[in-house]
Amino acid sequence: MFLFNIDFASPLPLYRQLIHLIKLEIISGRLNSGDQLPPIRELAKLLKLNPNTVAKAYYTLESEGFTESRRGSGNWVSRKEVQLDSLRRSMVEDEWRIFLEKVLKLGATARDIRALMERDLTDDQDHS
Amino acid sequence: MIKTIVDVQGVRVKIGKKTIVDDVSLRLGRGEAILIAGPNGSGKSTFLKCLAGVILPDRGKVIYPNGTTAKKIRFISDQLSLFENFSVRQAMNFHKRIFGLKQMEYGVFAEAGMDESRKIRHLSTGERTLLNLSLALSQQPDVLLIDEVIHVIDPYLREKFLEAVIDLMDRCLTTVILVNHTFSEVEKIPERVLVMADGRFIVDEQAEELGMRLKKVVSESEISPEIPFIFSQPAGPFIEYFVYPFGPEMSDRFPYEFQAVDLNQIIKAFIGGQYVQKRNP
Repeated sequence: MFLFNIDFASPLPLYRQLIHLIKLEIISGRLNSGDQLPPIRELAKLLKLNPNTVAKAYYTLESEGFTESRRGSGNWVSRKEVQLDSLRRSMVEDEWRIFLEKVLKLGATARDIRALMERDLTDDQDHS
Repeated sequence: MIKTIVDVQGVRVKIGKKTIVDDVSLRLGRGEAILIAGPNGSGKSTFLKCLAGVILPDRGKVIYPNGTTAKKIRFISDQLSLFENFSVRQAMNFHKRIFGLKQMEYGVFAEAGMDESRKIRHLSTGERTLLNLSLALSQQPDVLLIDEVIHVIDPYLREKFLEAVIDLMDRCLTTVILVNHTFSEVEKIPERVLVMADGRFIVDEQAEELGMRLKKVVSESEISPEIPFIFSQPAGPFIEYFVYPFGPEMSDRFPYEFQAVDLNQIIKAFIGGQYVQKRNP
């Protein structure tokens, strides 16, 4: 788990990147409801992050309702039904906006994008 | 609010006729990780020595308001204060006695598997630094001042050392102050970045803020005079501009692509800008 890169030269602050990656773990099912998150110190050492950065990410995840902390025993993925679908939708939308910004900068038109989507999404279905 | 661990009040240091540290005042918080960067000769090491109490300022003072004792402040530089004729083992025992440590946490040093009967003066620069850093860590200092020594350790041990520092920060809320020129490995650790130039701090920002407020623009021609930049340099047929302070409204107003850059480039831009100023006052 947590085989990912966190990059200083990203428009997103480090703790935001970490939040994003943990949400990905939850959506993809690698982290399940009731699973324990790695201890702050261990994750900080693994990713060479300031422990405060990890703590800030954990704190934010908790305040957004994705995780729960128990005093002295760490952080856990919430047992309450995490709204996976709405989380997934909002993350897809974020990624979509980033993608759109990039291709529009390249001069792609709405027609280009539609054509590409048609081509690749159809291909994808053919494979499966 | 974080507790202040070091309170620097109007510190000035002169060496010969030159003012090296020029009326610096700032506070450093408990558990903060701070990076100090700046051109050669800008006063970084001298400032660090003031924090460590190795030199006394000519004016102003350095106060540890929570009564941090000298034993809990550890300064590490390339001038290693080790006893040359001691063996590694003797040095460790000495250290243990002086600092009243019941047990020596060898940590990183154990990882290196060094022969403890060797004399200090026979160790290589990297080995000495490693020993010095390990001794410092075992003390569990409240303040750890590291003056540009990390790069002499090999990459494997450097990683182990970084992990040990992170561990210490979390366990003991140690304040870590790094003076460094190479950042790739440590760039995600400092939360606060200070840039020194001619004895003063020209930047004192949260790393996160700094990352948002400094952007790079690569342009074929001169950029709009409305965009503030601290440094520019030719890059092939283009010119690189380091825009600071950048505001998000600039992305809407100007047709440029404002790119995020890593800490290394941010620092290089500030330092480069200082040299340009020096050449064309």
